[in-house]
Amino acid sequence: MSENNALEILLKSGKRPLFMAHMIAGYPSTAESEKVAAALVQGGADIIELQIPFSDPMADGPTIAVASEDALKAGATVADSLEILKKVVGLGKPVAVMSYTNPVFRFGIAKFVEAIKAAGATAIIVPDCPFDTEEGKALLAAGKENDICIIPVVSPGVPEERLQELAKDACGFVYCTSRQGITGATSKFSNDLADFASTAKRIFNLPLAVGFGVKSKADVQSLSKIADIIIAGSVFVNAIKRGENVEQLARDLTS
Amino acid sequence: MKNSKYGGAYVPEMLWETLKELTAAFESAKNDPAFQKEFQDLLKNYSGRPTTLIFAERATADLGGAKIYLKNEGANLSGAHKITHCLGQGLLAKRLGKKMLIAETGAGQHGVATATVAARLGLECIVFMGTEDIRRQRPNVFLMERLGAKVVPVEYGSKTLKDAVNEALKFWMEHLAEAHYCIGSVLGPSPYPEMNRYFQSVIGREIRAQLQEREGKLPSAVLACVGGGSNAMGSFDDFIGEKSVRLIGVEAGGIGKNVGEHASRKIAGVPGIFQGYKSLFLQTDEGQIAPTHSISAGLDYPGIGPELAELYESGRVELTYATDAEAVDAADFFAKHEGVISALESAHALAEVRKMAPKMGRDEIIVATLSGRGDKDLFNFARAFKDESFKQFLKDEYERK
Repeated sequence: MSENNALEILLKSGKRPLFMAHMIAGYPSTAESEKVAAALVQGGADIIELQIPFSDPMADGPTIAVASEDALKAGATVADSLEILKKVVGLGKPVAVMSYTNPVFRFGIAKFVEAIKAAGATAIIVPDCPFDTEEGKALLAAGKENDICIIPVVSPGVPEERLQELAKDACGFVYCTSRQGITGATSKFSNDLADFASTAKRIFNLPLAVGFGVKSKADVQSLSKIADIIIAGSVFVNAIKRGENVEQLARDLTS
Repeated sequence: MKNSKYGGAYVPEMLWETLKELTAAFESAKNDPAFQKEFQDLLKNYSGRPTTLIFAERATADLGGAKIYLKNEGANLSGAHKITHCLGQGLLAKRLGKKMLIAETGAGQHGVATATVAARLGLECIVFMGTEDIRRQRPNVFLMERLGAKVVPVEYGSKTLKDAVNEALKFWMEHLAEAHYCIGSVLGPSPYPEMNRYFQSVIGREIRAQLQEREGKLPSAVLACVGGGSNAMGSFDDFIGEKSVRLIGVEAGGIGKNVGEHASRKIAGVPGIFQGYKSLFLQTDEGQIAPTHSISAGLDYPGIGPELAELYESGRVELTYATDAEAVDAADFFAKHEGVISALESAHALAEVRKMAPKMGRDEIIVATLSGRGDKDLFNFARAFKDESFKQFLKDEYERK
């Protein structure tokens, strides 16, 4: 990652913990997506994770899966998502794009990475695209070419030999799920997680982001002992669905 | 078979170790005489193999062309070929120390087979099934529950097979230590496509041996219906090297060629990456998975096994399709001519037999695999044939105290 990459500058700033807030492009609508991002930033988000909706999101629980389906039903396209990305980038925080392999593959992997770079993103997270697949390799190559970090997603239970393999190509930060499973469900943040987090930090030698099941200030406080970046997603999607104040919720979590 | 273009393991890293362990268990089991002995014993003395190869004499005479044989996988204990890969995977799950089998199901055949094997091997069982499929295949839900399985309805997406796979994958990721995901077709992340083909390849070996004994030669063509492709790969595998044998997969032509009206990758499949594997999928230009339709829940799925996709693209396997109406007609034709009531899935292969056989010589042989028997489709057949007395029976049954 280049030194003037917005994400790199933020990670080097020493502010800890950083807060990465997740949202879905096109949810609750294309028009309102920018407002959601603005509320998250106003509420204290340091990084925005912008999910480009996919019909069958394997790593997501019912909250994000149903919201993705709603966004697609309302007609959200990849082109819309890229427009939203530009606007979110305009809010001044680093943006990590998240999606699944198939939409990226169909768009063309190199073309997709170039498009998000042009729109101002600094990283991409594709949880079902292992680095050692043909597409994973293409993603890494395009990332290097465009100064976009390809963020590895790891979980407690992934053995050290595998982490070491992934670490060779990692940049930016490491996304660590708080447990094995999918997004949204309540997490206990076990001792296993703390042990795994320290192993992952040692092997990757990068800031560690932890997500999955972050719902309250108490969760954030408990994770801040082991994580450099704390990620929350489903909690915001649920708040949007219920018509609650997203900015206030973000502030409650980050303050 | 070396598979390079399609396949792979496109899954979150948390599955890496589990898939690695499963691959190792599968590789060691292949060369373990104790495993082979137990597997073969279960196939023979539990499921009832070899299944019969029925000479469809009256259908052959009526259609006036090739000699027609039906490989009767419906004779298996659980009513379909699915039990074969379930027995194989169930034994592997026990070797891996798992306590539970989980499965997705469309028509319910793979769910019933998994529940059957779980009961036999003393494992817990959870089956995920879309609510649309539960509506179409309610009798199999009843059977799974009688076999001790828990059936979990899946109420999002298209509420069919693909959504059941999604939900099973998600449950699995949360229960990796105790659960083995018994994937029901030749698809999903590696090693599943190869592993299920390996177990199912007994179908083709039996066809070859039975035909050799009865006719002393190879068939001109082997046909099977294709949803994901498990009975097709099982039927074809042994014949891939026999260039004189045409291998024909019959997909669900549904009610039309527009998006959402069929489940045929021949009509509209393009390369994609979904549910852990790379293959041909029905999808939009932006890579969103497309809705599908088939009268048969077991074929109502957007993807095709990666090895089968590769064999199709290389020209070794031909794909064609039969419509909903053709499948129902074909099931009726073979019921009346041969006393064989086929599952609606398998009836797609029978529909192609009716089209092909008359154009072939009388010295030629065509074998169609009947992947399952049609008991489960009682309600669907009754509706398709507008059977008023059956409707009255249901009404009476409902009102009966």
